[in-house]
Amino acid sequence: MDLRETPEMQAFREEVSTWLAANVPDLPPLEGPEEFELYRAWERKLYEAGYAAIHWPKAFGGRDADLMTQAVFAEEYARAGGPARINTLGLGLAGPTLMVHGTPEQQAQWLPGILSCDDIWCQGFSEPDAGSDLAAIRTSAVLEDDTYIVNGQKIWTSGGRYADWIFALVRTNTEVPKHKGITYLMIDMSTPGIEVRPINQINNDAGFAEVFFDDVRVPAANVVGGVDNGWQVAMTTLSFERGTGLGSHVRFQKDLDGLVDLVRKVGAQDDPKTRDRIAALHVRNQVFRRNGQRTLTSITNGKPVGPEASLNKLFWSTMERDIFETGMDVMGPLAELAPTADAALDHGTWHKKYWYSRAACIYAGTTQIQKNIIAERVLGLPKEPRLPAGAKK
Amino acid sequence: MQFDFTDDAKDLAAGAREFLTGEYPPSVIREVWESDTGRDPKRWQQLAETGFVGVAIPEDHGGLGMGDVEMSLLLEEAGRANLPEPFLEVAAVAAPTIADYDSEALKAEWLPKIAAGEAIVTIQLGGAPLVADAHVADALLVEVDGALHLTTQFSSTPQVSLDGARRVFTVEATTGPDTLLTDDPAAVARTFDRAATATAAWLNGIGQQVLEMSVAYVGEREQFGRPVGSFQAVKHLLAETVLEVETSRAATWYAAYAVQHDTDDRVEAVSVAKSFASDAERTANTNALQAHGGIGFTWEHDLHLWLKRGKALEGAHGTASWHRERIAALILD
Repeated sequence: MDLRETPEMQAFREEVSTWLAANVPDLPPLEGPEEFELYRAWERKLYEAGYAAIHWPKAFGGRDADLMTQAVFAEEYARAGGPARINTLGLGLAGPTLMVHGTPEQQAQWLPGILSCDDIWCQGFSEPDAGSDLAAIRTSAVLEDDTYIVNGQKIWTSGGRYADWIFALVRTNTEVPKHKGITYLMIDMSTPGIEVRPINQINNDAGFAEVFFDDVRVPAANVVGGVDNGWQVAMTTLSFERGTGLGSHVRFQKDLDGLVDLVRKVGAQDDPKTRDRIAALHVRNQVFRRNGQRTLTSITNGKPVGPEASLNKLFWSTMERDIFETGMDVMGPLAELAPTADAALDHGTWHKKYWYSRAACIYAGTTQIQKNIIAERVLGLPKEPRLPAGAKK
Repeated sequence: MQFDFTDDAKDLAAGAREFLTGEYPPSVIREVWESDTGRDPKRWQQLAETGFVGVAIPEDHGGLGMGDVEMSLLLEEAGRANLPEPFLEVAAVAAPTIADYDSEALKAEWLPKIAAGEAIVTIQLGGAPLVADAHVADALLVEVDGALHLTTQFSSTPQVSLDGARRVFTVEATTGPDTLLTDDPAAVARTFDRAATATAAWLNGIGQQVLEMSVAYVGEREQFGRPVGSFQAVKHLLAETVLEVETSRAATWYAAYAVQHDTDDRVEAVSVAKSFASDAERTANTNALQAHGGIGFTWEHDLHLWLKRGKALEGAHGTASWHRERIAALILD
């Protein structure tokens, strides 16, 4: 066990933190198209400096950064208070999935636009009747000559309002078990027949959207990984999504620092119960950090990320919720105040973050789904009896 | 960065698992519960011969020359096996403390004997009210007025532990200038942290063991025509256990690293580890009995042998809330 950083890594950390300190902008909240372009400009700046996708192979314009290096970048980005990244679905999911399953032509078609953030991507997986049971998707794609005609609806599409492309799961075969009739299709969001309706979130932010497809014509060449093989491709994508949460302990540490400031502001620093809760959250973030290092080492030493990624997701999502719930409790009666109220503490940021944190236990596999995965794939407990094979809703 | 153990350490732990599960099956633990002294010098001798007792003793004093990090893996194995010996006190705390802080003469006197299983040194740190295995100890490593002493002069009164495999005592120690090991406050604090970290590792081992017993049981036990482990309510119970116990291990490993290298964040790391490990073991303990149902509530079933050691150690070397207050003081005061 040796936790010292190599001189090269220290140098990279120094380089990144210096660049970020000089360049990180103070952007307004992402409320509309004007703000969105400011965020896109920041992505472009990252791209020009070679920081947009350091994890991508050099052949595709990245730096071939190993996981340790990515973690250093993510930590420094969080420490510098860098803006929210608007193309994580493209850079983190669509791009890497294309590198695994895309043809050379597809890689040439889409990867450069993802890297430069000229193309913002969103994910079209969930549907109204296909959430945790993702394979139940019904959005259909029917082949006519060399074009798929897509009809149906996606929901909970983060960034759907601004995205240029969507990587979607569509049903291409209804005659086979549900996992075997799904195809992974890249769809241009400007295609006629696509309608995007923003969904206002519980905190009144328009974070995600519904996407409707009405006879949307998509070239058959946009299928990634083969017709009816979309479930396998989607699993690749999800394996990136349920990754290690690089550097997020630094972000949580900043939230915890804010919580400590809040405790002092309301004069609760000597309250034994509050002290215990603050310490418990601090403990959890440190435990999270050490497990991140353990996972990083394990992947670096050549072990693939397995179902233990579910432990990671379960750990940080419940911790995030508890951090902000504690913030609400610390504010006492003032927690009632909306962000617009004069007397709201910290300009109401706790409110926004609190409500958003409650999504963490739902998206990317709910807490309950993660527990099923842990029980069945980590502990090897017997699966829940399923409906007979071939039964469809 | 390598947040992992050397192959040597992993081999050692694998050897320990094989040896301990072979030598200390539940039937032996039950004999220990029933016997007068609870200890058999021959068994301790055997344990020493494997090299485990001297893991953290320098090679020139008859040990294996490893550190707290490697020891933390062995302690997990001891916890898994429910080892009824003063391994934590002697091998994980007293021996490395003597090695780190004692005079050359006393090191030469004590360490080879400890490594060979010929001397037992138990501990009383941070004002702990109870001392394990004082009846078989040749010496006591005791914290008195902020200084560490190594004394052979102490009297002990037996108490009764809820864990019948443990033997605990209240102790009156005689110390003076001639028994002083060190009065360096940093050394005293680090020694307590060493004991807290060792306890955390042991608790993590107990958590793993009772989890595995639970998984095996709910996989076999059938109700309503299917294994009870196929019900989500049961699955989620055990998923919560594995979440806490498995993540606790990495925190404890880091604490062992922090103690071994005496890093700047040692106090924080140790309190993170012990508070989390105590809580994780409690979760494992609670959920294991729940998963076993009525059979786990019987004296006859072996589960309680582990549950009781867990309860005995949750509060040792700082309760979870004591350690959290130590962290609160770092953050808020």
